[in-house]
Amino acid sequence: MLLGTLVYGFVNSCILALVAMGFNLTFGISGVANFSYGAIYIFSGFTAWIFLNSIGFPYIICVIISIGLSATLGILIYHFVIKRVKGLALSEVMATFGLGLAIMELFRYFDFVGFKYTLPNIVEGSVAIGDVYLDYQRIAVVFIATALTAFIYLFTHHTKTGLAFRAIAQDERTALTFGIDSDRIGALSMGFGSALAATAAIVVLPMGTIAVEGGYDVLLNALAVCIVGGLGSTVGILFASVLIGFAQTFTANYLEPHWMMLVSLIAIAVVLCVKPSGIFGHQKELEERI
Amino acid sequence: MNRLALKLILVLFVATLLTGLSSRVFAQEPIVLGVPTSLGFLEGKEGLFCVNMAVDEINAAGGVKVGGTMRPFRVVAIDARGAEPGVPVAEVIKAHKKLILEDKANFIAFGSFRSEAAIACMDLVSQYKIPMLLGTAMSPEMQKKITEEYDKYKHTFRVCLNAVYLIKYLGGTMAYLNKQFGFTKVFIMDQDVAWARKTGDLMISMVFEKMGWQVVGRQTYPTGASDFSSGLMKAKAGGAQVILPIFDMPQSGILVKQWNSMKVPALMAGFISPLAGPAAWKTFDEKIDGAINAIFEIGNVPVQKVPRSVEFYQKYQKRYGKPIEAGHSPAPAYEMVYILKEAIERAGSIDGDAVVNELEKTDRQGAMGRIRFGKDHQVIYGEDPNETAMGCMIQWRKGKRIVVYPEAIAEGKIALPEGLKSLK
Repeated sequence: MLLGTLVYGFVNSCILALVAMGFNLTFGISGVANFSYGAIYIFSGFTAWIFLNSIGFPYIICVIISIGLSATLGILIYHFVIKRVKGLALSEVMATFGLGLAIMELFRYFDFVGFKYTLPNIVEGSVAIGDVYLDYQRIAVVFIATALTAFIYLFTHHTKTGLAFRAIAQDERTALTFGIDSDRIGALSMGFGSALAATAAIVVLPMGTIAVEGGYDVLLNALAVCIVGGLGSTVGILFASVLIGFAQTFTANYLEPHWMMLVSLIAIAVVLCVKPSGIFGHQKELEERI
Repeated sequence: MNRLALKLILVLFVATLLTGLSSRVFAQEPIVLGVPTSLGFLEGKEGLFCVNMAVDEINAAGGVKVGGTMRPFRVVAIDARGAEPGVPVAEVIKAHKKLILEDKANFIAFGSFRSEAAIACMDLVSQYKIPMLLGTAMSPEMQKKITEEYDKYKHTFRVCLNAVYLIKYLGGTMAYLNKQFGFTKVFIMDQDVAWARKTGDLMISMVFEKMGWQVVGRQTYPTGASDFSSGLMKAKAGGAQVILPIFDMPQSGILVKQWNSMKVPALMAGFISPLAGPAAWKTFDEKIDGAINAIFEIGNVPVQKVPRSVEFYQKYQKRYGKPIEAGHSPAPAYEMVYILKEAIERAGSIDGDAVVNELEKTDRQGAMGRIRFGKDHQVIYGEDPNETAMGCMIQWRKGKRIVVYPEAIAEGKIALPEGLKSLK
């Protein structure tokens, strides 16, 4: 039982890291509020399903289309919604959250409900770790989460575009003086973050069903990981994912699955009270000290 | 040209005549059936399809004879969303109120999806004396209220299976597994909704304790959960030989996929809503082989020994171009419209109290078997389709659903899936 909890806790941590990565890139690193993140995640799942089951494309093509369309949707949201209210933090949050609700409810309106909306596993089969069986799909989650985390860290610290992502969050005016087009970078960040949401959806959704309500859970989990870890910190994301992931799994296994969602909410509440910038966050440390 | 004009005039004349005739047929005020269900769930969606199918058949045959006049049925449906997580009961009550007060519903057909809301709505329908026939909600609390305060709650009836009858089918299956394979250890996994919790409680008190089974654990999941690994690990650690799942949410189908990939050495036997229909085999990547699932009412699955169930199943498939997927609700939804029609015709009126009196006298052979109400307004379920309505248990075998219980309608015996061994 303990071994099983540890193994599945680790996988759960990787799932959280994967799900939070896109949100962290857009909101944490670039400072662009994208509260339609959960909706984009669900959008990519349904898009892949439609191209696979209604049109009959090979799955790999469906995955590429889904990621591409999600990135495009993110860019469009930036140009048509976020750009209009940029600088007004509350308006950005409200506008994108509202848009996310509209996207999710649109799927419900068009009857995308029921158990048939599932995506195929990337790899089939399972392997025994001691007396615990773990399916290959979950192992794939671990590898993909690790690879993407490393990629995001290198991208945002060692490439021109990645550094520009961080620059517009730190000080947009100074970034402009260095010739960084903040709208272009903001749109790119939204597109990139949405593509990461789509990647997470393609890898994580085969272990469940694509349900409209799932979008809310994804947003809440991503928010919890980013707040606890510290907005903009890739290391913080990893730390928070492990912390919340294991806490959730231990809660489900030794208490009740009902309390799992409370873990994220309690973590958010505690961190906001004790260290509002998050465990590894630096962006607001000065403000906090003042 | 003159001939053409003459032909046109003739066609117009005939068309006008036909339109006039048809409007004469339905010139009478329609009888309004309010359907406040949860269309985001398969049972709600297909239930509404079946209400519409029965209504169209009845209207095509001339309608309902009320006294000396023929009146059509008219369906007004609301997606009350009562089955979805987070939707409060008050919203469902509002939907019922709208149907009764604004849409002037004469009857509530199919009713609320969840027992929590259906029980709350019993007060509302009794206040307006509107007969309500339930097609999804399963908690026996409804019958208790009718038995204790008949005059107040007599307007509510239930056509679908309830939790107590489900216990009998599940209990019978457990007795079968004990007798055939010597299994005595069970792990219960259920959903945190009234009917599922009650079913789990009753299975422990009425079946497992009496039969001497050991319940090695129980895990209750909130609606919407999609990771069942914690329960499966506990089942394995506890040495369970049988896992009893009780779920009606779309995400629950994934439980069997996880059971398969985690290679938990226990037989899955209970109710998982997405496992009931033929599409489950492909949807869950053919990983549900051996799972035993309850079908709450026959007709939702065609049972060769009950020809009316086959007839209803095929009629649905022909009309909608796809088979019934829900294991609960479609057949009762279809039958309840006919039950209501017959009661109205016997009463010669749509007065609530008069129709209630006639509903109590219902005796009809339908897709679910013989349909009669008990004194507590619950359709009586049993094991002989000539005497009672029926549910059944099916087992998935190589993509096919085989009826394995009750014996009277069984098409085969329960077989253990690969990797499981009999203890006898």
